[in-house]
Amino acid sequence: MRAERALRVGIGGPVGSGKSSLIAALCGELRGEHRIGVVTNDIYTTEDARFLHSTGALPAERIVAVQTGCCPHTAIRDDITINLEAVEQLERDAGPLDLVLVESGGDNLTAVFSPALADVQIFVIDVAGGDDIPRKGGPGIARADLLVINKTDLAPFVGSDVALMLSDAAARRGTLPVLAVSLRTPPRAHAVAAWIAAQLDAFVTAEGHLHSSVGGGSDHDHGHAHTH
Amino acid sequence: MSCSDAVSAVALLLADSRFPAGGYAHSLGLEQAVSDGLGADGVAPFIAARLRLVARADAALSVAARRAAAAGDDGELTLLDGEHAARCPSPVLRTIARRLGAQLLRSAATAWPCATIDRYRALSATTPRPVALGVVGAAAGLDEVEVATIALYDDAATVASAALKLLGLDPAAAARWVADLAPEIDAVARALVCDKRPIAEQPPPAAAGLELAAAVHAARMERFFAS
Repeated sequence: MRAERALRVGIGGPVGSGKSSLIAALCGELRGEHRIGVVTNDIYTTEDARFLHSTGALPAERIVAVQTGCCPHTAIRDDITINLEAVEQLERDAGPLDLVLVESGGDNLTAVFSPALADVQIFVIDVAGGDDIPRKGGPGIARADLLVINKTDLAPFVGSDVALMLSDAAARRGTLPVLAVSLRTPPRAHAVAAWIAAQLDAFVTAEGHLHSSVGGGSDHDHGHAHTH
Repeated sequence: MSCSDAVSAVALLLADSRFPAGGYAHSLGLEQAVSDGLGADGVAPFIAARLRLVARADAALSVAARRAAAAGDDGELTLLDGEHAARCPSPVLRTIARRLGAQLLRSAATAWPCATIDRYRALSATTPRPVALGVVGAAAGLDEVEVATIALYDDAATVASAALKLLGLDPAAAARWVADLAPEIDAVARALVCDKRPIAEQPPPAAAGLELAAAVHAARMERFFAS
């Protein structure tokens, strides 16, 4: 059973937090069971798309890079037409697909995906960016469907307190889930992949209708996909 | 200004870069020109040259498409798709025009839900932006002068906006380039609307420099803009 189109998962977060590495790891975890495509929003180069090619995460025809004219936040939130065209073209050319990961260009803490582009979204931060980031908040930290705190293996070396980051994030997010991961040490991205797989199951069961925490007013919190 | 020729809010909405049609990702050739040595003092002449050549030709197509869409003439719209392709030898620029047209139609179909836009989206295999703009203009109730003015203004404003990201500039100085060209934009728009010759009889521009530069730009590893 599959929905009429692929589930679209937005993956955003600041520069260097590990979005591309997470996507490469997720492709490794999920490609056996699911047909995956990736759209990268590059700031200046085709670096992200080339990185994914080089890891062998996916065949080249499953990866599309779009240029955003120095406006990465615009391309995922205010004017999503470039990304919608890219996702649909990817599905036409390389489809049918089960899952399309849309990677935002590395941006600031205010950038979130429009719910018209991403069915659900993951916000990626890392311990090396400072353990005060969850406390500072912002729409990605507070309302992304999943918050990933990456590079936990580096915490002792950069003086970051992962437990504090988790408790600050929980205070910001209510019941929305948070995962602390290290892509360098097992179980690597496994928990994130399991979360996406659950979203995909819910998406197919609900025939392509998921309710993202980022859509509309934040009148209630929930950490799961469900139908209305 | 009389009551009848007051500027319409719908025209402003469509001309506004905040209308989601993807234009912000394009420099319309300026990025490659800057890489090839064009400086800040060359941008206004670059915009003016586009206005007199490619922007004018595109706006003429938009006016013709506005006319055809308002008349429900599917055959003419298909012909205009072909006229655009014939006037745009660069496959890179043809692809860009098609994407921009598709993006415009996508948002316009939500902003002005109507059969005019739906029919053209179903009819056209290519949706080049100049033709798409005319169709959207008809759907939104714009007149021919408004469609021509938006086409020309959008071209100039897109380049001026891209210049701010490519060169260190005072944003107000970039606004002045467009302000200085505004009388010519208005004049060209009115001249286009008065020209009743079929598009096939209007000579296409020779913009070989832009065509060649577009191919070089598309092959670059490092770039901000999609064109």
